[in-house]
Amino acid sequence: MGTQVTPDTQIEDLVKEYPLAVGFLTRQGIRCIRCGEPLWCTLGELLEEEGVEDLQQFIIELNSFLTKED
Amino acid sequence: MKEILKKLQIKDMNIGACAGQEDWYEDPTAEEVVSYNPATGEPIARVLQATEKTYGQVLNTTVESFKSWRMMPAPKRGLVVRDLGLALRELKEPLGDLVTLEMGKIKAEGHGEVQEMIDICDFAVGLSRQLYGLTMHSERPAHRMYEQWHPLGAIGVITAFNFPVAVWSWNAAIAAVCGDTVVWKPSSDTPLTAVAVQHIANKVMADHGLKGIFNISIGRGSIVGERMINDSRLPLISFTGSTRMGRRVSEAVARRFGSTILELGGNNAIIVAEDADMDMAVRTILFGAVGTAGQRCTTTRRIIMHKSIAKELTDKIVKAYQQVAIGNPLQDGILMGPLVTKGAVEDMMAALEKAEEQGGKVIYGGKRLPDHGEQFVEPTIVKMPAQTEIVHIETFAPILYLLEYEDIEEAIYLHNEVPQGLSSAIFTTNLLTAERYLSHEGSDCGIANVNIGTSGAEIGGAFGGEKETGGGRESGSDSWKGYMRRQTNTINWSKELPLAQGIKFGD
Repeated sequence: MGTQVTPDTQIEDLVKEYPLAVGFLTRQGIRCIRCGEPLWCTLGELLEEEGVEDLQQFIIELNSFLTKED
Repeated sequence: MKEILKKLQIKDMNIGACAGQEDWYEDPTAEEVVSYNPATGEPIARVLQATEKTYGQVLNTTVESFKSWRMMPAPKRGLVVRDLGLALRELKEPLGDLVTLEMGKIKAEGHGEVQEMIDICDFAVGLSRQLYGLTMHSERPAHRMYEQWHPLGAIGVITAFNFPVAVWSWNAAIAAVCGDTVVWKPSSDTPLTAVAVQHIANKVMADHGLKGIFNISIGRGSIVGERMINDSRLPLISFTGSTRMGRRVSEAVARRFGSTILELGGNNAIIVAEDADMDMAVRTILFGAVGTAGQRCTTTRRIIMHKSIAKELTDKIVKAYQQVAIGNPLQDGILMGPLVTKGAVEDMMAALEKAEEQGGKVIYGGKRLPDHGEQFVEPTIVKMPAQTEIVHIETFAPILYLLEYEDIEEAIYLHNEVPQGLSSAIFTTNLLTAERYLSHEGSDCGIANVNIGTSGAEIGGAFGGEKETGGGRESGSDSWKGYMRRQTNTINWSKELPLAQGIKFGD
């Protein structure tokens, strides 16, 4: 079974459990750690704030990336 | 390692909610956070984080203690802070070592950070007799007008991993002499240093028959942090962290008409003029860009150098970088340790890809150093063709961008063109250039230096910056005013009732 990051995943958990996700997001222009600290919000909230239109597709691609790199 | 932990009363499992020696609050539902040594990846110890319930218990004690603390004369409060400084002197070595162990900065910097705590305590003791207000001449006869400064209340301090103890002390020592009580949420990456400091503060409080002056609530930002910024019992939140989070904190606190001290992101530059002392500049750049592995708010991130000296300066910086010893930060002779988390390494690598996409050329470093450990990287120099999008972003890692300029107007334009405004510096031997840089058409930062670098601020000055850095000021100068409330008083000692502006009303 692949990695299961969801829109409800807290960024604090994402950064700790899936550090590779940080690079994935930064490459898309989305920064989830700043000043070395994770943001206090969920992944879904961050993606919405960053104007990601197809949130579900983004999450699928992120999970796929994390599964491949695992 | 065990010896360090023992001296600081750190156990295998620690409690993250405390308001005094006998006031450690436990909740069986609390989540654990494991603190890892970033140099080795090994766990150091664990902390039971604060929950909604234990945060509430800590805050109740913090608020209750304020009622008596504010009534103690400020010079007497200063004596408590004096003893905190003395206790820190006694434990400087193990606490400095723990900073290194948990955060990854080199030993000299870890010890230096504790020295900064001691220095601010000394400053605060003196300040406790100097909380001056002005007197003004009243326009009304036989009236006296003056202002006084009162304690503000229980205040919240939220700090980041990179200065896990010093930033707390900048706030807590000043706030304490001002008559405030303090609840502290440290970074979840450095909970053990906070527990150690709490033990030290507990002993000092107990020696004075006190509790609830210095308090911790270690927990997730999304739980404890959010509770603090929305808690109307905390009239002031002092937040150190990113611009993105600072905006969130600012909005939440402003909604309830609280006040904030924000110390947010930096994107600090050094201008190196054609007449600069090159050797001084190179040594400064090395410390500013590589120190703390590029994880200071004041880290030098941009060099704006005159075209005529660009090649020579670049060669010298590269040569200096080649001498940097990287490794376990507890070992003597090491100049650069690991990044704080694996995520920070990923962020750095992705930022370097972006820099290259935008025309940047990595002229030194750029790679991971897996032989040292998963969180080690090379300090990196990137020559940029222009100040592109990635250069405007603060990547919290040892990346130094090199830019060139033709005249001082262009240099100052590039310097001020980023959204952040924390620290800045110029290297020049020309008095006119230096003065222009410090003038109101020069650097737009909160800190502007000549012939010294962007990092390594002293506690005596006010620390903070402009624009997206947030505008807050901590530490020295008159920053204490942010921790107190100003009250203007007018006393009529006559038998008449004259109104201001000469108004006659019903006479």
